[in-house]
Amino acid sequence: MNTTQSIQTTLSPNGASSGVRAGRPPALVVDGLTKRYGRRAAVDSLSFEVPAGAVAGFIGPNGAGKTTTMAMLLGLVRPTGGGATVLGSSLDNPAAYLGRVGALIETPAFWPGLSGTENLRVLATLGRHDPARIPEVLDLVGLGGRGDDTFGHYSLGMKQRLGIAAALLGDPELLVLDEPTNGLDPAGINEIRQFILDLADGERTVLVSSHILSELEHVSDWLIVIDDGSLLYQGPADGFLGRVPTVIALAPEHPGDLDRLTALVRADGHDPRREDGGLTVPVDEDDARGAAAALNRSAVEHGIVLAELHVRRPSLESQYLAAIGGSR
Amino acid sequence: MIATIRAELVKLLRRRVLVTTAVTTAVFSVASAAIVLISADAGVRRVSGRGVTVESLSNAGGGTNVFTTAVSFAGVFVFVVFIGLFAMEFSRGTFRTMLMYQPRRIRLLAGKLTALLAFSAAVLAAAELITWVAARIVAPTQDVATGSWVSADALGQAISDYGSVLFWVSGYALLGTAIAVVVRSVPLSLAIGIAWAGPFEHIVQDAWGAATRFFPGLLLEAFVAGGTSDVSAERALVTVAVYLAIAAAIAGTTFARRDVTA
Repeated sequence: MNTTQSIQTTLSPNGASSGVRAGRPPALVVDGLTKRYGRRAAVDSLSFEVPAGAVAGFIGPNGAGKTTTMAMLLGLVRPTGGGATVLGSSLDNPAAYLGRVGALIETPAFWPGLSGTENLRVLATLGRHDPARIPEVLDLVGLGGRGDDTFGHYSLGMKQRLGIAAALLGDPELLVLDEPTNGLDPAGINEIRQFILDLADGERTVLVSSHILSELEHVSDWLIVIDDGSLLYQGPADGFLGRVPTVIALAPEHPGDLDRLTALVRADGHDPRREDGGLTVPVDEDDARGAAAALNRSAVEHGIVLAELHVRRPSLESQYLAAIGGSR
Repeated sequence: MIATIRAELVKLLRRRVLVTTAVTTAVFSVASAAIVLISADAGVRRVSGRGVTVESLSNAGGGTNVFTTAVSFAGVFVFVVFIGLFAMEFSRGTFRTMLMYQPRRIRLLAGKLTALLAFSAAVLAAAELITWVAARIVAPTQDVATGSWVSADALGQAISDYGSVLFWVSGYALLGTAIAVVVRSVPLSLAIGIAWAGPFEHIVQDAWGAATRFFPGLLLEAFVAGGTSDVSAERALVTVAVYLAIAAAIAGTTFARRDVTA
C-alpha cells in the first residue's frame, strides 16, 4: 500500500503539541479503497493511514471523494473494492468498531419534533451509551441552555453543534467530522476549532474534513489530500507545508530602484525573483525575520526606501492549490 | 434489537405523542362506535363485508364487533402511516444517523417496526376498550341488547377480535414498510401505497371478483371481516402470511445491502 510516511511525534503548524504517539497502531488504515458509481470512480484505490492520537485534516475539492470515503469508513456505503481497518477492526464489520467511533457526516440529521435532549436520548439509547453524558456534551458544544428547544427550531449552527454533541455521546476513540463548521459564524468556527484541539488529548483520533483550509491549518497535525478520488499527499502537516519555501516580499518606493535592489539582494547571497514590481526572496523559515531586517538595513544604507517588506509563509491553501494544480 | 426498540419508544412515549394519540383514539373510538350502531339501526346489513345488524350486535361479541367493523375502515390510513414513518427516516437522513449507532441493519429495521407495532398494539387495546364502553352506552338508544356483552364468551370474542385486528394492522404495517424501504421517497411511496390500497385493488376487484383471493389489501380486509363469500378467513390468513414473508425478505435485503447516502 502507498503509505510511505512513518508515524511520528510532530508539531502542528501553530506549535501545539501533537497527540500523535509512536508505538500505537494507526487508528485508520485505508488500503486501496474504491467506490464506483457506474463507470465513474468516486474513490479510486485510495490508501492512507491516520496515526492514533492525530488530528487529521482531510482535504480535497468538492466531489473529490471525502464524504464518500468517510461514509464507507462508517459502514454507510459499501466499497466496490479495497478495504480498511478502523481501530483495528475490518471495514467489513462496522459493528465491531462503530461503538468507539463518533461521527458527523453531511448535514446533521435529527427528528425535528424532538428537542435536542430528546434526540440525543434516542441516539444514546440506540448506541447503548450513557444518557447521563447528554448534559455534558450539550454544554461542551454550547447548547447547554437550549437542550429543551425542538430541533426544528434550531439555527443551522445549532444543528451543527447538536451533530457534534451526538458524535461525542460515546466518548469515542475516533471522531469523524465532515465539514463540522458548516453554517457556523466566525465566532462559532473559532469555538469549534478550539474544541477540536481540546478533544485531541493524545488519546482520541480526529479525522476532520473542511473546505475552509485555514481551519484545518490551525488544528491538524496530519494531512490527507485527495483529488478525483485519489491520494495526493498524506503525512505530517509540516511536511506538506514545508514543500513551498517561506519568502520575503519587498518592493522599492520608486520603481526605478528595482534593479539596484535586485543587485543588493543578490550581493547578500539570496536568489530573488521579480514579481509585481517587487521581489520575492526565498529564505530559511527559521530566520525569516532576521533576513527581512538585514534586507531592510541594506536597502536603507544604499538609499532605497522600501514601500513593501513582509514575510510570506506558505499557507495550507497555497500548498493545497499548488498540489491540486499539479495533479491536473 | 432491544436497544433499537427502546430508542424508538423514547420517541413514542413522549407526553406530546401520548396525549395526541390518546385524544385521537378516544375521538375515533367513540365516533366510530356511534356510527356503526346508527348504521346498524338504519338497516345497513354489511359494512366492509362484515355483517353488522342489530341482531348480530346483540350477540356476545357484539361489543367488539363494533370495534373490528370501525377499525376495518382505517386500512389505508394504517398503510399510509407506516409508509410515511419509514420513508421519512430516509428523506430526513435519520436512518443514516441511526446506522452510526446501530450498524446491524436488520436489527435496526426489525426493532423499529417491532416498537411501532407494540405501540400500535397498546393503542388498539385502548381503542377496543373505549369502543366497547361507548357502544354499550349508545346501544340502548338503537335497540341493541348488551346483556351478553359481559360474559366469558364475550371475553373470548374480544380477544379473538383483538388478535385479528392486530394481525391486520401488522400486515399493513409490514407491507407499508417494504414499500417505503424500496422506494425511499416520501411522496412517491405514499402515492404508490394510496393508489394500490385505495382505488387500484377495489377497481380490479369490481372487474374481477377473484382478486379478493390474490391481492394483499383485499385479503387483509377479508381476514379481519372473518372471511367473505370469495375467500375464507383461513385462506386469507395463509395467503397474507406468504405475502408478508416476501415483503419482509425484500425490505430486509434491500435495507441491508443498499448504500445509505441521504
